[in-house]
Amino acid sequence: MEETKAGDLTRRGLLTAAVAGGTGLASTTLILPLSASKSDDAVELIKQLTEKTPTESNRVHLSMPRVFPNGYTVPLTLEIDSPMTEGDHVRKVRVLAPRNPLIEVVTFHFVSQRSEPHVSTRIRLAEPQYVLALAEMNDGALLMAKTWVEVATNGCK
Amino acid sequence: MLTPTPRVQVPGAVTKGEIFQIKSLITHQMETGLRHDSEDNIIPRKIINKFICRYNDVVVFGVDLHEAVAANPYIEFYLRATESGRLEFIWEEDGGGIYSLAHHLVVS
Repeated sequence: MEETKAGDLTRRGLLTAAVAGGTGLASTTLILPLSASKSDDAVELIKQLTEKTPTESNRVHLSMPRVFPNGYTVPLTLEIDSPMTEGDHVRKVRVLAPRNPLIEVVTFHFVSQRSEPHVSTRIRLAEPQYVLALAEMNDGALLMAKTWVEVATNGCK
Repeated sequence: MLTPTPRVQVPGAVTKGEIFQIKSLITHQMETGLRHDSEDNIIPRKIINKFICRYNDVVVFGVDLHEAVAANPYIEFYLRATESGRLEFIWEEDGGGIYSLAHHLVVS
């Protein structure tokens, strides 16, 4: 039994892709974009995943505890400021945890005039990291927010 | 493994145009496929990978779940009340298992 389905995003897979694409760069610099420890790194990671450049936006509100004792069930609330009309709405929001063994966490899909871009859930985090929320708008724009979360235990074991 | 049990909390009656909250939960261990048993064999992945909500047969909200969603996935979301009718909640599991619940919503 294979442990992951095809197409899953792993840090290793991304690194391999980075090595394949990034000729002439020292291997240490290739690790940096995945750490997402700085804003630019998060942007780099999203560029690799989506081939688009995200914009940090205060319309995306990602609320998580700054410190949480266990990584198994960390609360997350997301809200995007949007009128949700036919001409201006959020299509989907992806949540990414760049320092988890598998980066993709969850994706929410919304429908204009029917659902609101406001959700809560609980996620696993392997280690302290920036969690990223990436909202795709109806015009294709990518809006991003990130929040630092410190967990004391690894929730992915 | 225990049989997954889905649950939802929906208001009984809402007014037209109102935005109302839905809380959903399914008991499920969300086995990530990253763990090993005592003989060092990988425990195969088995997670709820999808959740959708239909409102009178129209999909109005959906979620793709990956390994990093916590066990017993809890999802809270908001819909706009358009007309009275059937709300249907569907959870899909690795391997094709499907769990669902339905609720009649009264919109006045």
